[in-house]
This record gives sequence, C-alpha cells and structure tokens, in this order.
Amino acid sequence: MASSMKAKAPTPALSRRAVLAGAAGLTFAIGTGGIAEVARATASPGRGALNPSAWLSIASDGTIAIVFPSTEMGQGSSTALPLILAEELDADWDDVRVEQLNRDDRSFGNPIFGNVLYTAGSTGVYGYFDSLRKAGAQARRMLMHIAADHWAVPLASLTTEPSAVVHAESGRRLSYGEIAALPYADLAVPEVAEEDLKPRSEYRLIGQSVPRLDIPAKSTGSETYVIDVRLHGMLYAAVLRAPVEDETPTSLDDGEARAVDGVVDIVTLPDGIAVVAETLEAAFAGRDLLTVEWSEAAPARRFDSAADLAAYAKAAGNQGHQATKWRSSGDAATAIGQAERVLEAEYLSDYAYHAQLEPMAAVAAVDPDGKGAEVWAGTQTQSWTMRTITEVLGTTPDRVRLNMMTMGGSFGRRTALRQEYVRDALLTSKALGKPVKVVWTREDDIKQGWFRPAAAQRMRAGLTAEGRLTGWHHRVATPSVIAYFNPLRWEQVDPSDIISMRGSESGFYKLEHMLAEHVITDRGARVAPWRAIGASYTSFAAEAFMDELAEAAGSDPLDFRLKLLEHNPRGRKLLETVVEMADWTKRSPSSGLGLSFAGYGASMAAGIAEVQLDESSGEISVSRFWAAVDAGLIVAPDNALAQIEGGIIFGLSSALKERITIVNGEVEQNNYYDYEILRAHEVPEIALHLQDSDGPPTGVGEVGTPMVAAAVANGFHSLTGRRLRHLPFTRDRVRAALT
Amino acid sequence: MTAFRVNGEAVVSRAAPDTALLWVLREHLALTGTKFGCGAGMCGACTVHVDGEPVYSCLTALSDVAGMEVTTIEGLSPDGSHPLQRAWVAEQVPQCGYCQSGQIMRAAALLKENPNPSRAEIRDTMSANLCRCGTYNRIFRAVERAAEEA
Ligand code: FES
Ligand code: FES
Repeated sequence: MASSMKAKAPTPALSRRAVLAGAAGLTFAIGTGGIAEVARATASPGRGALNPSAWLSIASDGTIAIVFPSTEMGQGSSTALPLILAEELDADWDDVRVEQLNRDDRSFGNPIFGNVLYTAGSTGVYGYFDSLRKAGAQARRMLMHIAADHWAVPLASLTTEPSAVVHAESGRRLSYGEIAALPYADLAVPEVAEEDLKPRSEYRLIGQSVPRLDIPAKSTGSETYVIDVRLHGMLYAAVLRAPVEDETPTSLDDGEARAVDGVVDIVTLPDGIAVVAETLEAAFAGRDLLTVEWSEAAPARRFDSAADLAAYAKAAGNQGHQATKWRSSGDAATAIGQAERVLEAEYLSDYAYHAQLEPMAAVAAVDPDGKGAEVWAGTQTQSWTMRTITEVLGTTPDRVRLNMMTMGGSFGRRTALRQEYVRDALLTSKALGKPVKVVWTREDDIKQGWFRPAAAQRMRAGLTAEGRLTGWHHRVATPSVIAYFNPLRWEQVDPSDIISMRGSESGFYKLEHMLAEHVITDRGARVAPWRAIGASYTSFAAEAFMDELAEAAGSDPLDFRLKLLEHNPRGRKLLETVVEMADWTKRSPSSGLGLSFAGYGASMAAGIAEVQLDESSGEISVSRFWAAVDAGLIVAPDNALAQIEGGIIFGLSSALKERITIVNGEVEQNNYYDYEILRAHEVPEIALHLQDSDGPPTGVGEVGTPMVAAAVANGFHSLTGRRLRHLPFTRDRVRAALT
Repeated sequence: MTAFRVNGEAVVSRAAPDTALLWVLREHLALTGTKFGCGAGMCGACTVHVDGEPVYSCLTALSDVAGMEVTTIEGLSPDGSHPLQRAWVAEQVPQCGYCQSGQIMRAAALLKENPNPSRAEIRDTMSANLCRCGTYNRIFRAVERAAEEA
C-alpha cells in the first residue's frame, strides 16, 4: 500500500494507488544494481492488479508511478529521489506520481546502511543516485526495445523525448503509456552501462530547481502528519511516563483520572501509565490527575549533566585513560612530542534537543486477534518501525499495514531501533480493542527526549618555531550514541561510532600526523543522532582550535588554513570564495568576523559569521552569515540552498541557546520557554554560494551545521580577543569569558 | 454548548467550555491544518484568527470564541490561492511544513493591518512563530512578495 502525490497538483497524502488501479502497464522491481525484474500489470481493478514489489510502474494511461524509498521530514528528497529516476527515464515530470514506500522491503534499502530503510545522514541522494539513474535508463531502454519491435525498426534509429519514443525518420511517435499497453513478450532487462547514461549537460530535471511536490499541500494546511490522523471510533492516549529512565510505577491511584468525563480506561505500560479517552483533552486532563509512585532504584537516577560533563572532561584530559582510535595518520604523539611549541585546549558541549516542531505521535489499530495491525507513524526508518511493531505484537510483517507519514521535522529524533511512541499506541490499542492515537505534549517530548550527547574534547597540536602545524590530536570524551539508540548496529560496528565521532577526522585538511580518538564514556541521558551528528561539536572544537593555532603561529586564520589545503583545490576555492563574499579583510570595531571550514562526509563548507555583542548582557547576535559549499552535483539547487540555510540556522540556534540539563536523572527543561530556539528576529541574513562540481552528489541536509559554532566563537574572538570554548555560548558563559 | 463560526459556517460544540480551541478545531472539527506544537503560546503553530485577530488557539478556551468568527488556514482562501499561499509556493518556503499554517495565518493578519510592512516589521511580527527547519528568511521574502502582488 502506498500513499501518493502527483507532480504539480497537491493530493491528500493518504490517497491510495487509485489512479493505477484498472490500468494495464508495466511494473519494475528495482534493486541496488538497477532493475531486477519486469512484470506486466493486468487490467483487473483493485490494488492486486499491480506487482506489490514494484518500484516503478508505467500505466497505459501514461501515469508513471515512482516509489520513494526514504521518508520525508522536510529535506525534500520525496521530490529529489524520484526526479533522478525520471531524468534517466526521460519522463515528462507532469506524468510522475510519487508513492511512499510503506514496507520494510530491503530489496531497495539504503545501500549506505546495509539496505536498511533508513533516512538519515544526508545519504538519500548520494546513496540512491547510481541505482535510480540506472533503473531509469534501463526502463527507458526497455520502452525503446518494445517500440523498435512494434515498428520493426532498429533500436539505434530511435530517440526519446519526455515520455515518448520517437522514430525521427518516419515521424512516428509512441507515448510511454501507449508502449506500456503494447503486447510484447520479451521482458528481459536490458544492460545499461555508465557510459549509456545521460551526460550532465543533457539533464533537464536534475539541477533545474524543479518545484518540490509537497509544497502546495504544506502551504494550505492539507499535508497530513501522523498527529493529524483521525479514524472512525478512534480513542486518544496520553502517557505519563517515568520521570527517570527505567523507573517503573510502584503504585497508582487513578480514581480521579477515571472520573474525568470521556476517560475510557487506564493502561499500565512498562514505563508509564496511559490514560485512554474519547477526546484528546480528556486524556490530558485525566493524566494530570494520576497519582503515581515510581521506583527509585534505576541507575539513571545518578544522571547529572554537570557532574557527568566534568567526568568526561577529566577522561578527555587524562591521556592515560583508555581510548579507541577513530582516525589516524602518521604518528601524532611523536610529532607533538618533538614540536617546538605545543598548544592544548579543552572544549565542552552540553546536551542538545531536536526540538522538531511536531511532537511525537503514533496511531495504531490492532486487529482483534492482537497479532496484526494497521499503523500510522512518522519515522526515519520503515525497517525499525516495522521491527518495533512485530516485536511488540509478537507477529510477522505480513500482518502489518504500515503508513509512513511525512514528519513535522525530525533531525535524527525518529531513528531508534525501538520506538516507544509506536509501542505505546500498539499496547493501548490492543488493550482497548480500538484504534488509538498517542500524542505527546511538548513537555513529554523534552522530558523524554533522546539528545545529542554532551562531550568534552581535548585538542593538542604541535607547531614548529615558524608556526607550521606538525601534529594534531583530537580526543573526544562522549558516550557511544550507537550503543544506545541501535544496539543491533553497535554489534556490527563496536567500537567505531560514527554518530559520536564524525568530523573529528578533520579530513579536508592534510594533517600528516594526526590522531582522533574516542574516549567512550558512560551515558548520562538517552542519546540519539542529531543534525550533523558528531560534527556539530567535533567541528566546533577543531575549527575553533584551528584559530587558536593560527593566532599562536602569528598567522591569519585564512592563510593558516590555506596552507593545510594545498592538496584540496576544491576546499581552497571555498575559502577563497567565502572571504570574498564577506569582505574578510575589512574589519569593523562593532562586529567580528569568524571563519570556519567544516562539512559533513564529503560535502565541504566554508563559512564566515559576523558577530555582535551586547557586553552588559553577554548576548551574542549574528547579523550576517556567508557560506560557500561544495556538495558535488546538486540535484535540486533551490532546495539545496534551503537545506543549507536551515542547517546554518540550526547550528546557530544550538550554538547560541540550546542546552538540556539533567539533575537526579530528570530533564530540567519543559517547553520552548526554557529550551529556546532561534526566532525570526534573530536570524542572520544568509548569503550562499554553491560551488560547481563535477563530483557525485554528496548531500546537503547537514553540511550547513558543523561550521557554525566555530565561526561564531572565532568571530567573538576577533571582536573581543577572548575564546569561547563551551557550547552553547550562553550569556553567563560569554560574560565569564569577558572577565 | 458553545456556538461560534468557523470559516464562515455556524458550528455548535459540545466540548467543555474550557477546552482549548486548538483541540476543538483539530480533533472535533477535523480542521487539522492548524497544528499543535507547544500548547504554551511559544511556537505559533496553532495560530488562527478570531474576529480577524491572530491568536494562539492552544491558549484560547472554547468559551472565549462564543459568538465569534474563527478563521483557520482552511478558510483563508477557498482554493489555496491567497496571495500569501501563492507567495509561499513561489518562494518554496516550507520544508517539513509543520509550522507553515501558523506562519501564514500570522502573516495574513499582519498584511491585513499593514499591507506594506518593512522587513523589520515582518521580522518582528513573525518572531511569534517558530520554525525549526529555519525557513525564516524565505518567509520574509514570501511576505514581501505577497505584499507587492496583493
Ligand atoms: S501550540 Fe499554540 S503556541 Fe505552540
Ligand atoms: S518548515 Fe519545519 S518547522 Fe517550519
């Protein structure tokens, strides 16, 4: 089953494959190697008419349905991925309908994640780029074969134009829909080699800023998120969850809650109490009236963000403390040992919360036998949502009808192996025998958040007397995120944690002798991936420290970096471009410019922040931000700009404001009033440059974020001569740095 | 029983008078374009107009709107062609989209009161609404575009 949207016309997200029912045509199964199988769809009505594993269907009415294997959380890949296939298919974009993949079908999972259906890490476009292009090209070739056979002309005499095969010599033309309806026996999959694919100069969809398909519905309020799902006879559940991880209810007085008009039942869950009611307001009102005593034995009672960070700092600074190598080259220890000057600095960062605007929610309608269900969920992974459901119900995927909904932001929040919000909807629906919608409040979402981990980082580097960098050592003391949010994955990668460590490799520079290592500390909160993962703090430390080194070397921060980029002309170009954009050499007494060069994976970004300071309050503001970005081939340029700008604002918001604190295992923050995120009047003017590149696409969803915190810290230094080494740069910390 | 009007139609709600207007709109009347983000007047995702004024429907009790006219994103224009909605598409504003109904309703109230707002006035007014995806600069441009085209 699939929800769909049609190019250029908003369609309710929950509409079904109706357009294809009853139309004959061709269906294609796709795998990582391109098209795996072709089948002929029959003209019988209903969903069964189509091969359920079809990733691409061409109906006789000309409709081209392309399955979207990721999930949509705002990043725009529900337009960008189908567009790649449509380009090679030479489809008329107006004929394309996009269908959400609603199964855990690993035959076309994300190759970057071992074919698990997992939408994260800016991997959608680059992970699927080759297979989608190849599949599109093979399908096009196949349509040409059928046409050649029908007209009895050589294949080589045919060309295509959008959604049609053309025989120029005779002036004949068949639309893709007409071809799909032709009887044709040989459905062998044609071979297509890389050199048969379109050269970039012939692209007419890729690189053209084709409007996003989801924007009309998102401008009229008609997009449907999971929190909007309403079913006949549906009940609502609000869950009072343990204030501290792993505590359980020991006593419950639910008399008052049950007396609330509309409350139907109270269901005890493994770690909480669900109030189930006929209305959402009754469920919330009932929950407020519960009296629950909780166990007080869980180890998480000892979680204390201040003490934990101090312990991380100690572990980072104690070079004898065991650490796991993340990346290295040469011999950093010897190089630093022999250096004429050694610099060392400690960088800290607090927990950060996703703050996605849609609070967690899920809807489940469990079958009467308790072994099957229809589920509506907005998550970043069909695979782990399906796994959660089958585990909770003790059932198999064939009993599950899953509806993957577009998300009101996610930024890593909905990635975990076990999804407690989905579980709670299933358990309450099963208990009541009715469909149930679980809705979290903002307070639930923060108190029960899974955060970017706190981290302490110890930077050490050696310089020659002339100020040349000789050795680089980056020690990150932070828990393993993977070990917590996905223990299955941890079994495969232990002890290498890309979520905790990404960015600390400083891979864009030539660092002859470098070592980045992970001091895996005890976890002091629920932790999860968070936009740009480790790079949001490792690049802060690395790029702020780079400025400290430049200063010690008596060198301009730009020149110091350029010297380390002689082998990386694309990176150099970014720095040269951004300093020109920002007029780097022009200085003003009222603002400071800070430079930073970071990125995400193979995507690089150079940024400059213009920083202002209100000295009495300690409030920092950033009035302008310039960035030059190289993310390889850009499939959807306008959306790439939006993503990068969003990533910069996300980075700035977290650098200036965002901080979760934990005392006795309880999260102290409650809502957007004490976990503030950047508001409209605080956003800088942002100027972006996308560098032309002949490289493959490398992702735009996160590349904007990592550079930002260091750019602000470096701008603060150029304004005040002081360093900021603890994220976020709260007023207290800024004032402390000034004294 | 509370009688009021929503998007031009008379409605009578049997919800308790202290029920948040947000729940009445979303869950009782199926007008889910208005979103729940915080329930605390902090995010603006729930912004609707009551007798033309922008309010946080999460902090507005049903009884507060008795006899009044409530306009939601669904009622802003019959077919999504309000100048702001056209501008939102032209500027490709939404990312996740979750905040955008509230943003558009906030902006619509601004333009009604001040058809030609300055950039500073737009920034100031729109600071009542959060966007975690960071679409703010596009929102500013879209409001300006709508003001020009209206
Ligand atoms: S939900 Fe009303 S202001 Fe956030
Ligand atoms: S578009 Fe996602 S919160 Fe604004």
